[in-house]
Amino acid sequence: MSVQEERKGPSRSGGLLPLLIPYWSWIALLVALTIASNALNLVGPQLIARAIDSVGGADYRLSTLVVEFLTLAAGVFILTYGQSIVQTVAAERVARDLRARLVDTISRQDFAYVQTVTPSRLLTNLTSDVDAVKSFVSQAISSIVSSFFLIIGASILLLLIDWQLALAVLTVVPVIGFSFYYVLSRVRKLFRKSQEAIDWLNKVINESILGSSLIRLLNSQASEYTKFLEANSEAKSIGMSILRMFSTLIPIITFCTNLATLVIVAFGGHLVISGTMTLGDFTAFNSYLGILIFPIIIIGFMSNVVAQASASYERIAKVLVSEAPKPWGNVDVELRGDIAVEHLTVRYGQRDALDDVSLVVKAGTRTAVIGPTAAGKTQLLFAISGLLVPQSGRITVDGRPLTDYDKQSLHRQVGLVFQDSVTFNLSVRENIAFSAIVDDASLAKAVETAELDDFIATLPAGLDTVISERGTSLSGGQKQRIMLARALALNPKVLLLDDFTARVDARTEKKILANVSANYPGITLVSVTQKIGPVEDYDQIVLLMEGKVLAVGTHEELMHSSPEYVQIFSSQQSTEDYELQA
Amino acid sequence: MNYKLNTKDASQSKESIWTGLARLLPLMADEWRNIGIAFSAIALTSAMALTSPFIIGHIVDQFIAKGDYPGVFAWSGLLLAVFLVQLASSYTQTRTMGGVGRRILYNLRNAIFTKLQELPVAFFNQNRSGDLISRINNDTDKLNQFFAQALMQFLGNAFLITGAGILLLVLNIKLGAAALVPAVLVLIATQVLSPWVKRASFKSLQTLGGLSGEIQESLANFKVIVAFNRLDYFRQKFAVANEVNYSASVSAGLASNIFLPLYGLAATLGTLIVLGYGIILIDAGDMTTGLLIGFLLYVTNFYNPLRQLASIWSSLQLALAGLDRISEVLALQSDMVVVPSDAVVSDAVMAFENVSFRYPDGKDVLSGINFALERGKTYALIGPTGGGKTTTASLMARLYDPSSGTVRLDGKDIRAYTPEVRAAKIGFILQEPFLFTGTVRDNIIYGNPAYIGRPDAVLMATLESAGLNSLLSRFEGGLDTSVSSSGDAMSLGQKQLIAFIRAALRNPELLILDEATANIDTVTEQLLEDILKRLPPTTTKVIIAHRLNTIDNADAIFFVNAGTVTLAGSMESAVDMLLNGTMQS
Repeated sequence: MSVQEERKGPSRSGGLLPLLIPYWSWIALLVALTIASNALNLVGPQLIARAIDSVGGADYRLSTLVVEFLTLAAGVFILTYGQSIVQTVAAERVARDLRARLVDTISRQDFAYVQTVTPSRLLTNLTSDVDAVKSFVSQAISSIVSSFFLIIGASILLLLIDWQLALAVLTVVPVIGFSFYYVLSRVRKLFRKSQEAIDWLNKVINESILGSSLIRLLNSQASEYTKFLEANSEAKSIGMSILRMFSTLIPIITFCTNLATLVIVAFGGHLVISGTMTLGDFTAFNSYLGILIFPIIIIGFMSNVVAQASASYERIAKVLVSEAPKPWGNVDVELRGDIAVEHLTVRYGQRDALDDVSLVVKAGTRTAVIGPTAAGKTQLLFAISGLLVPQSGRITVDGRPLTDYDKQSLHRQVGLVFQDSVTFNLSVRENIAFSAIVDDASLAKAVETAELDDFIATLPAGLDTVISERGTSLSGGQKQRIMLARALALNPKVLLLDDFTARVDARTEKKILANVSANYPGITLVSVTQKIGPVEDYDQIVLLMEGKVLAVGTHEELMHSSPEYVQIFSSQQSTEDYELQA
Repeated sequence: MNYKLNTKDASQSKESIWTGLARLLPLMADEWRNIGIAFSAIALTSAMALTSPFIIGHIVDQFIAKGDYPGVFAWSGLLLAVFLVQLASSYTQTRTMGGVGRRILYNLRNAIFTKLQELPVAFFNQNRSGDLISRINNDTDKLNQFFAQALMQFLGNAFLITGAGILLLVLNIKLGAAALVPAVLVLIATQVLSPWVKRASFKSLQTLGGLSGEIQESLANFKVIVAFNRLDYFRQKFAVANEVNYSASVSAGLASNIFLPLYGLAATLGTLIVLGYGIILIDAGDMTTGLLIGFLLYVTNFYNPLRQLASIWSSLQLALAGLDRISEVLALQSDMVVVPSDAVVSDAVMAFENVSFRYPDGKDVLSGINFALERGKTYALIGPTGGGKTTTASLMARLYDPSSGTVRLDGKDIRAYTPEVRAAKIGFILQEPFLFTGTVRDNIIYGNPAYIGRPDAVLMATLESAGLNSLLSRFEGGLDTSVSSSGDAMSLGQKQLIAFIRAALRNPELLILDEATANIDTVTEQLLEDILKRLPPTTTKVIIAHRLNTIDNADAIFFVNAGTVTLAGSMESAVDMLLNGTMQS
């Protein structure tokens, strides 16, 4: 077993060991304490043997025994607790720093990266994968060090006491090693499968939390339970298979240990009778056997911890070494707001979300983007705000490619109001002033523009009211207006609205848009919308369908040139009168 | 009703380990036979483990000391037999007890999931999903680790300790008692220290939940963080949570690691006492060397499992802390029960009688609402944002119960219906559409027993006759288009289309559309209107929308604002109200 471990060890923990380099002083201290406390432990049986051999002897003094033993006990206590402290602190530091490094890397990535890797995977990386690495530091290092130390130490002592008996006893070691190797190589596969079953379980649980309203409306709790039961049963049956392996392994290991005891009794008994061994040595032999076998078992179990930790670290390392997005330039100037989109193509999986899209938006103008569901409208806004990296084509702002700008400077000057409302578990103030640079005046102006004053006045603590993560007590329109205020609070030069008006009534919408023009003069506006009415007087309207630009022009032009536009227009005609009034 | 978790302070969890374990009893109901078998096996294993030192001692005293070869071998044979019995019994013990553990965990997970399904929507709205997920994933995992690894060792060791302790006392009462003194001291210390350890563990699990909540919230909304230059903020907030978790975990580690060295100390002291006292006894002629060697082995047999217990002890404390957090969820009771029926003859399919609604934070949303909806008519709810439209609709579908007053469905208190009947009668397309991971097909037949497990032809036939099949072309792979519950690969409009098909396919008596088509283009929306018109004439429709064309065909329009619901005479008067009404927002 020990040979197997040594041969396989480096390759398995290969990635893990470099991770520990910055903590070398902690690790060195840990190893030193471990070795010291184990060395002291080996002294114990020696003291016992001397005491028993000296029974009845004249040179024996009880007080010496007591002093020696108490020193030993105190030493072992201090060293083991010291070791625990060091390994706890070291493990938690490794975990904390690893998490911090992960978050640092993630925060340098772009939005597309997080979307591809998926937030839930990253959450697993940051929690259970880090935990696995932590177990490696907190359990495996000292256990493996002390196990090897004890195995080698006990073997040497056994050989010194009686090499013949020692060799006879040590024959059980390869047997134990082989059993472990056999079982663990099979269990590892099962562990992977069991991890997958847990992932499955988690997915069912997560969806049942996020879709709780729907489930209750459809009374589909039973079908959710069936899904859960299936996953849980799978997890159970894999667990049972692992159990079967271990319930065979452990008794066999114990039995091998017992066989070694038998060898000592029979063969050692022979040696004592024939006078080549003292009774004290015989007793010590038995004690050392206990010391020898236990670490072998420990190494077996720890090899699993190491395997799990290195698998987890592999997953973490993948994130850590992930290629950083191409760095942007450092142009930090005030934008005018001239936007040009040139031959832009954006692919989502197999599908082209945007296909060779070109359009020009002049500074200070208002542009509306209209089109059916899944036309690529959102992707267009994402591309303009730099959230999305196109497969081909480019976007320029004020004649400069988007990527020449300093990223922060661009995000500060291009405000995007997302289609779905995202509120954070923070106060309304922090949700709106969601940036370090927002001052009170900008905040007040944004709140006023988004027509939020009256709403905020009704909140128990005004702007400082904390809203819950999913903004329960807020209506869809209120959340959306908070999103708008958040974008406006940056005093942007360009404002991108993604279906902003979908959840705001016509009257409020009109007021808000008028407020924007009044409070943010010269702002360049690109608005994705479904309603033609409010945007009829815009400088240009872009008709987007299935990722392609079908027509561009003013309302009048499109009414003459684009049958598709006319179709959309007439679909809204029946109530257009009211819309116009509103 | 308040369903908020995490209100419990860590310092409150002072109960003993037995109270904690007692919570598991109901989950063990079917396991008593297996537990009996496992206990017998554990007892047998322990008995065998305890017999062997006795045999060894006997061999040393009777045969080795006297040079009796045949005796050594004969008794070695007996020793082998003992070892073989131990092999068999320890296999049975591991297998049976491990199985019991797995099944208890299985039952516990099922129990939590069932509880989650029982709790009303309010529970999910009042708690951070990140913390909830951590509670169910991480905390059950701590229990899992305990069940999988520690429980059996725990019981086996408890047996060994008891057996060895008794034998020590039987062999020599004075020496035995002396040997046990350090153990008693260390057990008292454990009693004193355990609450501290558990508190520390609870705290560390709590901070882990907080950390994962922080990460979950930020990663799920990463686009906002990027677009608003808040990466620094994300890093800072995370760093704080990370640091809090670090110090809580270090404290928990320092607390739970105290046991092992302490028990090691006790073991060394126990050996010292036996050795010293034993030598005195031998000198006085009251004891043999063989007996002392045997006694020393028993002391080892007593203290080794005790040391192992110490190493398990911390994982037990962690498991109990996890169990505490799980129990917090399990202890919640839904207040949305089915009440006795009180049928009133009524033509109205849906009626509100003096209905008021208030959130747990005390904010009034609706007060004293009265209206009745006739069968087969189409109603529109309009009004400024935050006026109470969604709340009104949610009360119609019993997502919440009113704080006072009665909601009647077909003349009967809506609370008197079983969930099955209510769900069949009411279709509700939510403002925020939710999709399950799977395909478009999975999602449109979700929760619909009429189509689950039936051939596609049946589904297609219905879709065609309802005019729904034309909508499927909006998905590149038709029914087989794959869908993910997370991720932005599907647009909000597409999600709304799926939710629409799902609801229309169920053919409900009352169909509520809460801004269900807000992000769908107007051309497709006309298609949806046609589909709605093809629903049976008895279907009552309630439509919430901002786009006035959506509600053009309504028979009656309700203006919802500032907690009141007013009937607007006509479209014109509704628009008028919208223009001139007092605005809540």
